This record gives sequence, C-alpha cells and structure tokens, in this order.
Amino acid sequence: MKEEHKEGVQGHEGGAHGHGEKYKFGMVIDLDKCTGCGSCMVACMTENNVPYKKNETNKLDSITWMRVFKATNGKPYPDTDICYFPRPCMHCEGEHGHAPCVSVCPATATDYNYETGIVSQIYTRCFGCRYCMAACPYHARYFNWWDPVWPDDTKESLSPDVSPRMRGVVEKCSFCFHRFQGARDKAYAEGRREITENEYQTACTQACPAGAIVFGDLNNPEHKVHELKQSPHAFRLLERLGTNPKVYYHSTRSWVRRAGDNYLTNERSK
Amino acid sequence: MSAQDERTKTAGSSAVLLICFLVGLGASLLVGWVIFPALLYSEKEQPIDFSHVVHVDAVGDCEGCHYFRDDGSFSGIPDLSNCAECHEEAQGEDPEELKMIQEYIEPGKEIPWMVYSRQPDCVFFSHAAHVKMGEIECKACHGMIGESEHTDTYEYNILTGYSRNIWGKNISGLTSNTWESMKMGDCGNCHDEHGENNACFVCHK
Amino acid sequence: MSLGRRGFLQFCLGAGAGITFSPLPWKLMDDSAIWTQNWPWTPVPPGGEVSIEKTACTLCPGGCGITVRKVKDRAIKIEGMKGHPINDGGVCLLGMSALYKLYGGARIKGPLKRAGKRGEGKWEQIPWNAAIAEISKELNQKRQDGLSHTVASMTGTDRGTVSQLFKRLLAAYGSPNVFTAPSLQDSERLALKLMQGDYASAGYDLENARYVVSFGASIIDGWGSPVRAFRAHTRWAEKAAEGAKLVQVEACLSNTAAKADTWLTIKPGTEAALALGLAHVIIKEKSYNKAFIRDYCLGFEDWQDSGGTVHKGFKQSVLKEYSPDAVSRITGVPADRISVIAREFAQAKGALAVWGRGKGTRPMAVHDIMAIHALNALVANINKPGGVTVLPDVTTVPWPSLVQDDIAKSGTKQPRVDRAGTDAFPLSESLFDQLPKLIKGGTGEYPLSVLLVHGANPYYTEHDRTAVAEALDRIPFIVSFSSRMDETANHADLILPNHTSLERYEDVPTPISSSLPVMSLSRPVVSPQCDTRHVGDSLIAIAKSLDGSVAESFPWDDYESLLKATLGDKWSVLEKEGYWKDEGYTPADWSQAFRNASGKFEFLATTLLAGAKSAKDCLPQYSRAKLKGEEFMYPLILIPCESMRLADGPVANSPLMTKTVADTVLKNDDLCVEVNPKTAIAHGLTDERMALLSTPKGKAKVKIHLFDGIQPGVVAIPTGLGHTAYDDYLKGKGVNSNDLIGMIEDEASGLDIAWGSRASLKSI
Repeated sequence: MKEEHKEGVQGHEGGAHGHGEKYKFGMVIDLDKCTGCGSCMVACMTENNVPYKKNETNKLDSITWMRVFKATNGKPYPDTDICYFPRPCMHCEGEHGHAPCVSVCPATATDYNYETGIVSQIYTRCFGCRYCMAACPYHARYFNWWDPVWPDDTKESLSPDVSPRMRGVVEKCSFCFHRFQGARDKAYAEGRREITENEYQTACTQACPAGAIVFGDLNNPEHKVHELKQSPHAFRLLERLGTNPKVYYHSTRSWVRRAGDNYLTNERSK
Repeated sequence: MSAQDERTKTAGSSAVLLICFLVGLGASLLVGWVIFPALLYSEKEQPIDFSHVVHVDAVGDCEGCHYFRDDGSFSGIPDLSNCAECHEEAQGEDPEELKMIQEYIEPGKEIPWMVYSRQPDCVFFSHAAHVKMGEIECKACHGMIGESEHTDTYEYNILTGYSRNIWGKNISGLTSNTWESMKMGDCGNCHDEHGENNACFVCHK
Repeated sequence: MSLGRRGFLQFCLGAGAGITFSPLPWKLMDDSAIWTQNWPWTPVPPGGEVSIEKTACTLCPGGCGITVRKVKDRAIKIEGMKGHPINDGGVCLLGMSALYKLYGGARIKGPLKRAGKRGEGKWEQIPWNAAIAEISKELNQKRQDGLSHTVASMTGTDRGTVSQLFKRLLAAYGSPNVFTAPSLQDSERLALKLMQGDYASAGYDLENARYVVSFGASIIDGWGSPVRAFRAHTRWAEKAAEGAKLVQVEACLSNTAAKADTWLTIKPGTEAALALGLAHVIIKEKSYNKAFIRDYCLGFEDWQDSGGTVHKGFKQSVLKEYSPDAVSRITGVPADRISVIAREFAQAKGALAVWGRGKGTRPMAVHDIMAIHALNALVANINKPGGVTVLPDVTTVPWPSLVQDDIAKSGTKQPRVDRAGTDAFPLSESLFDQLPKLIKGGTGEYPLSVLLVHGANPYYTEHDRTAVAEALDRIPFIVSFSSRMDETANHADLILPNHTSLERYEDVPTPISSSLPVMSLSRPVVSPQCDTRHVGDSLIAIAKSLDGSVAESFPWDDYESLLKATLGDKWSVLEKEGYWKDEGYTPADWSQAFRNASGKFEFLATTLLAGAKSAKDCLPQYSRAKLKGEEFMYPLILIPCESMRLADGPVANSPLMTKTVADTVLKNDDLCVEVNPKTAIAHGLTDERMALLSTPKGKAKVKIHLFDGIQPGVVAIPTGLGHTAYDDYLKGKGVNSNDLIGMIEDEASGLDIAWGSRASLKSI
C-alpha cells in the first residue's frame, strides 16, 4: 500500500466521527438566472436512464430526479411574480450524515458517503418499503410502480454507466455519481489522486443553458460553490428542519428566499 | 409380550430409527453437496478454445490485450478489432485459430466470449483504482487465468445467470485464495482490511 | 406401522439436519434474492469504448454546437459543445431529444407509397428506385403537359444548402412556386429592406446590450437562438448591479416577464403603439442621437422628394398621434410609465429594442417592426456594440450556373400561385398562408398539382389549420421527405424519408438573431438506422431522372460532395472544430450600412411611396388589429403561450420533454388554459374544471387553470400539443392552438400576422 493512499482514507475515518470528509459535493442554483426551461430535467433523465410513460401527468408517480417547481408570490395581477426552483436530491447531511432517508431505511439500501457527502440509493438492495419517501421533506425520492418500458429502439440510447431500475424500488438523484467515478478513474489512470472541479460536473449543471447551476466541492475554497454559498442571498430549502442540505439557492428577491422555507406571512426571516 | 422382548424390540426399533435418520442425513447431504450444485450450474464451452499462455508469450503481459483506455476505463475482453490486429491472416495452423478467422473475423462478427468474472449490472468496479492506484496484481482477483492453455468450461448459475466463478468453484463458499470467489463480501472484506471506503456507491451504480 | 411413521419422521429429521449442514438452503436463499434483482426484461446497457463526436443541432434555427457521447456505435447522450460561439456548452431540452428522433417511435423506416385513403395511415413499402421513379414519372408528365409551374415545394427554412437545392430543382425544372414556412424572418426582412435597404433578418448583439426592451419577444422562452438568448440573459443578471436591465412588454407573466427587471403589462397586439409612444417622449425631449438622425437618416423630418412633394416625417407623425396619453389609451400602459421607460431607454448605453412575439416564429406586421426598429434608430444603436445589425451570413462557394431549357424558362416566368412578388404583394417572397384562401376560393391563378414538403409540417403548424388542411388536400400529389410520421407525412402520397439529424450532413448557417457570422456543420455521428436517404441525395437523384436540361444543373455525385464543394476551404475547419466563425467581423460603418437608394436609414420608406395608399403608410405606425368575431359573442382574447418545454414547430416533442410539462398545462389528455381569477368569476369558471373554449374558427374542451399572472379578459393557450400524428407518447394529448386561431393578413406583406383571436369560455 502506497503511503499517500493512507491519506485518501482519512476522510472515511474522520467521517465516522463527524463530517471530516475528503469532499463535500454540493450545488448552488441561481434562481435569478434559472429560466424554468426544463433542460436540466431532460439532461438528468437521459444521463441516468430515467424512463417515461405514455401519461406522465400524475406528478406523484412521474419519476424526475431533477424537478423544476414553480412558485408564485401569491399577489394579484399585475403584481404577480413567479420563480422556478430546480430540485435535485438535497444530499442532506443532517447531523453527522443522518439524512432523513438514510436513518429510516431498514435495508441499508441508502447510505451517506463520508468521502463525498453523497447519499446513495442502491436499487438492487431496496425492497420498496418507501419509508425513505415518507421521510424525505423534498419529495426527491420516487418509486417505480411499473417496470420501465423503452419503446422502439430507444434501448439503444441507454447509458451503461447507470443501472436501469426495476419495478418495486425507489430511485433518486445521485449527483451523477458515476461521473465522479469516471473522473476518478481517469485521474487514477494518470497517476493522480485528486480530481479537478471541471472533471466532475453533474449532467444538469453541464446542460443548463442559462448557467444557473454551479456544482463543486463545498469544502474546497477554490471551487466556485464555496464562495457562492456564502452570499447573503443564498439559502437552502426548508432549512429550519435541520436537514442540512448540500443544495443552496440564490435569489435577490426576498419573497423567493422566504418561499424557500415556508415562512408565514408575518413571521420574520432568519 | 415380555419385558425382554419389549427391550429387544425397542433397541431394534431405535436402531432402525437411527438408520432412518442416517439415511435421511446421508441422502440430504448428498442432495445438498452433490446433486444440488450439479443441478444449479449449467455448462457452456467458449466459442474458441483460447490459450492465454501463447498470447502472454507473444504479447508480453496482460495489458497488451486487456488495457486501460485514455479515459481511465478498462477495456476488459478485447474486441474483435483487437484480435484482428494480429489475426487478419492465420498465424499458424491451429484449427481454433482458423475457426476464429472464418466464423468471426471475416464476417466481422464479435466473438461471444463468456466472461468468468462478469459482475451484475448494479456493480461498478474500477480497474484503475485497484490496478493503477492500489497496485493490486491481476492475479489477486483473476487467479491463474493467464497461465491457462485452454479455456475453462464456463459454468453459470441457472437461477441468477451469474458465472460460477463469482461464488467460487467450491460450493461451500470457503476459499483459501483471494481469487477463488468474487462476491460482495469478498470486496467488502478486502476494503475493510485496507481501511478503504465501503459506502454503497463506491461499488454500486 | 408406528415404526413406519416414526422412521419417516427420523428420516425427515436426518434430512433436515443434513440439509442444514449443506449449502443448499443458504445458497438457494442467496440466489433467489439475486434472481429477483435481475429480471430478464430489465435492460442491461452494454458497455464499451466511449467517444465524443462534434456536430451541430438542426432541430431549431438556433444553430447550437453539440457533442454526442457514444458507447461503441450507440449514441447515448447529447451535450452542448464547449467553446461554440452560440451556446458554449449549454443545450436545450429539444436539442437533447435528437436521440429520441433517432431511436424512438414514429420513424419512417423506408420509402412508403400511400395504399389507403389520404391520412388513413395505410402504406405500401417500396424500394428506393421505385420511389424515385414514381416521382420522376409524375414530374416528367407535368413537364410534358406544360404544367411544370404547378409543381411546388415547401421547406422549413430558406437558408442552407438543402433548401437551396429545392429552389434549384424547381428553377431547373420550371416552377416559381418555392414556399418557405412562414416565420418572423419574412416580415423582419421586409422591414429591414424598407428601412435599411437590406433584405436580411436582424442580428442582435445581445451579450453587450445593457437596456433591452422586448416587445413581446420571449427572450428566455425560446426566442431567436434560444440557448444564446439564455446566456445573454444570464449576462444581464450578472451585470444588474451595473445597470443592465430587461423590460418585458407582454400581456401575461411569461418566464421572460417574470425574470425581467420591469414587466410592462399591455393589451395584446398593441406593442407597436407603445414603441411609438416611447419614440414620442424621446423625440419630444430631444434625447435622440441628433448626429445620427441628421447625417444618416431620411424621413425623420418632413421630406421633399425629387418631384417636389413634401411628405410628413416620422417626427411630426409621432408627435401628433402617439402622445403618452393617447398610447396609454391604446395599450393600457400608464402614461407616466411610458415616459419613464422612454427616458431610461434614451439615456442607457446599449439600449436595444427587440421584436417578435413569443418564440418569434410567426410573422408580424411590417409596420409594427418598423415602429419598434425606429427606437433603435433614435438612439443610433445600429451596427454598434450592443445593438442591432443585419444577420451576417457566411460566404460559401457559388454553385455552377443554373441551366434552364425552354420549359424551365417559361415555367418559372409564370406568376406565383400565392401572388408573392406580384402586384398584390410586390415585396414578399413566399406567402404560404395565402394558399388556403386562394386554393379554396378558386381565385388562385392555377391549381397546384404536386407539393414537395421538407422540414415543414403545414398540416400542424399553420393557423386556421382546418382550412390549410382542406386546401392542401386538393393538391393531388404530395411528397414528404420527413424522417418521422408527422401530420403532413401522414397526408402524403409518397414518403422519401430523410436521415435524422444525427445521421446526416448538413450546413448550419448563421443562427437567427446572431450578430456574428457563424457556420456549423451537422454530420452523421451514427450510421443510418433505417432504410433512409439524405434528402439532398434524393433531390439529386430526382433531378438526374428528369427529362430536359434539369440534370445539367446538378453536376454533383451526391450531397456530401456538393456540401464539400460549397463550403470550400471552410470544410476542413468545420470537420475539425464543428464550427467556423469570423473572428474579425465588424458590422459596416454607418456610411456603408444603408443600402437604400438614399444610402440612409429611412424612417419614411421611400420604396413604398409608389404603391402607398397614403403617405402615412410609408411611416412606422400602429394599426388596430382586425379580429374576427363579435365582442358580445366572444368577450375574451385568446393568445398563444409558448414554452421551451413544448416544441411547436415542425419538430415535435420527445416523451421526455412532454414529461417535464407541468400538470397545470396538461393533465391526462386535457389541455389547461390560463385565466385570471377575475376572469373566472366574471365568466363562471372554476379552477381545474372543464370549459368549452370557442373562437370564430373552432371549439375545444379545455381545463381551466387559474393564474394571477395573466391579464383579466385574456386567455392563454399553450402551443405545441394536440398532435394527430407521431406515436402514443404525443398523439391525442391536448389541443392544437392553431385550430382555434384564424389568419389575420398584413396589408403591407400579405403575411399571416395573427397573434390571437376573440374567444369565449363556458363552463361545462
């Protein structure tokens, strides 16, 4: 075992006691730039072999790892305003990795990776009890009520990097973890241990035509997300639940920031 | 009926009962250890009888055919195009080589190799991490395949479709060498021993 | 007896003990668990070497560079091309859908000949040579009969080598009837021709503009080159602290309006009046660029022509008719807001007025565009950084000269059947939307006998769709080159399927609204999956099979060699990089910019003087739209509502795009229309309940969706649904808005400029 190999392990060991992980991947989504076009959703679905049905209008059973929600300020015409919230999995850290979904899984089909801060979902291990879906306050988890159907020759466009799911299991956004694996493989093959910011980007980040999504290591001061998350206009969804999510949002509009945490009309923001 | 008779009869029946027990035990052990494995695994022969020895001699090492691509991914079993680089025309007079040229290279059909170490789709395995960074030898997982002169019969589990090499040739699951089985537990144990991350996404996709 | 039973029990006990100490139960348990994880019907995508191929997207006129990720020979993902001057890595959901067009449903797998009634969907598969023979027999016959001019073609665009091939085929064959699907560019070219002397569409330096007033153009809902517009908007958001601003003029709170710094709510269809109102304030306060107006403009002040007649200038006309109060009455925009916006516009650096309703795919009134463009002239933001310019085209190698025999010559001299370029509409080049009226009314010069359709889907995309379909049904022979079974292909007599965008070569000229000359190359990244043929190759084959001199105009062996010859020295760059751009390009200086006879920017379009009904017709002006129907029957105004998530042009949605559509737009198969809660109260409508939407053109059952962001009295209908063709993932979902909106003819151009319709909504 090489000496520097040991260093790579530290994150894991540190992680057992707290969030001393090597990486802490996260996202900052600029809601002032997001146009609500939905490209991130399609990029995500093609990247991750997410199937489609003939009727996807029942949004409760429509699987969208990344979903763009629309919020309005509730004011009448012409003072109405709308804002889109792209919602991937928040990869909640909770306290020491106790994400709401991870704690309740009886099958250990989902865990918190202390090396990356990413919450996994292992389809072959999941037996479909859906406790995690009940526990997730962001509705980021989806259940496969049916086996996927790939019509005509569309199976040809499936990616070998992500395993297609079967009926009866839960799935969710993985921050395109296979891209992390791919980037690390390349680094290893070149004799490097570290990957650069550009080498690992999620499909939604890469596709976003407005450049609204920024992805990187929240712990690394050289990554853009590190600074962006500290903006006074940055916030997280339902922050007061203590889920400690790793997806940050940015908006200069105060009603949008308040909408992010269900503040009551007369309640004071934090 | 006398007590003596009674005892003899009891002893006799106990012996018979013991025999019944032993017959049951023996039969079930036979079923469990011999018949069940024979039923569970089916056999197939590889399309071409391939000699690793010949190729390692000619190419030099494993990486000549099983190489890393520029993006760090591992090529695994060579494509037909790799084979055709040397075997566009026959190198010798081996009937297996001629068969490969006639049946696969000339019509441009990929050779349907059966991979002894094929893991299911939900597994992500990084050769780069293990071979390049971990400096683990091919042998540690793949055993002495590089020294084989003929292809082994490919055995597969009729329930799961897995290659027998995943569970290991020994039906008991007991192994004495690291390459004798490739189950998740084997991966996990090795990761534990070396203090490596055992989070789900490290090996699953 | 009892021993038998006890013996059996002992046997079982022994067997039980033995089994426990054998691998059977434990292995079986493990294996059955694994068995449930590997259903044979769950696909296992095969791995292999990954490659990335550069190409360009041809699914909309946006012209983005894309890369296709392939595993061996399977295309698995489409991404934006980093460094491409238009999209620099970004990609939209339609662009990513090219995979579905390649592998998905409704693909036409080989040449088809109609077997049943038209539109019935019964086809006979025929070989390619029979298909070409079929069409050449038809075309040769028409030539012999002296009816070559009754053959027409319709393409989705008139730019690029493929549409040029159609044009050439018809010219060599002998017909003037080359149609292009109507677009904003048609009217924009006329406006720019009149004001600047260039028959060219507009390019905008969006990235450097700092104060943008968009007159209904949905900058971030798919207008222009969508990804580029998105990126420009992002730049404005980043420069907001430095005063970058977007003002959106629109009746409903579109995504663009929501993201704009100012949303000016306006009565639908009155945008030009507002533009003139802004002009009024700028002129009155003398905050226009005086040097530019003095030295490079004509018709700002009153103007005396060579004959001595004095024509009223733009200044007088605007000052007299478009005071903020007058404009406020027309548009509903408060007068003080008009003044504020006008002042900001005049003072801003890089102030830009942008036109085009929604995605900007439909024509507008030429005078409306002139009114909006006049604002750019007032602040002299023409051919300047952050300004408007004429769309710069990339030069290519000219083709060998056209050969026309006598039949071709006399055929092309016939008047066009749509009257474009005739005395009726002297300025226009193609007026497809005139056809239904002419063909149906029998007033056309002559009936069309053959229609070749490529890259267009008139059976779906045109307003008053029923009338269009009726008119097209009268053409005896329709040939479609579509690669998927769209509405028009479904009504064709012969289909010569084209390769899909990922299987073929094609040049992608400068994308619309670009201010930089960019050429991209779309190329085959996978081998053809079906028995299809490049439309260019089909055309060359057809030409070569025709009598007379037609073949002589087509000296190329195939489309690829034609394309290589046309792109000349740019080919190698395009092959390597995927795009070519003219780095050093700067728009012409003002002294060279205007190519009118006057050499100046003409507020007063002198070209129109001869034919104008009144001198006023030559000036930018607002005229009230004549909507069909009576207000008491149709008290509401219906406007189309376009979205990135619904492709409404000749390329339709993929299932994944439709999946992103909100359930407040499409619920099961029901289309939802947006109405203000106030409208709902006034008309007795309930949220999420069905209602009957009626217009003078048709009726449809729709679902009510209450939305505060829409003007009371206005109903917004989503576009891009209501398909009757394609596969089950699209067919039969929602309503086609084109069924409900009728044509409104622009007097100046003859183009269909409908932006909406009168309508009524009744709860059912």
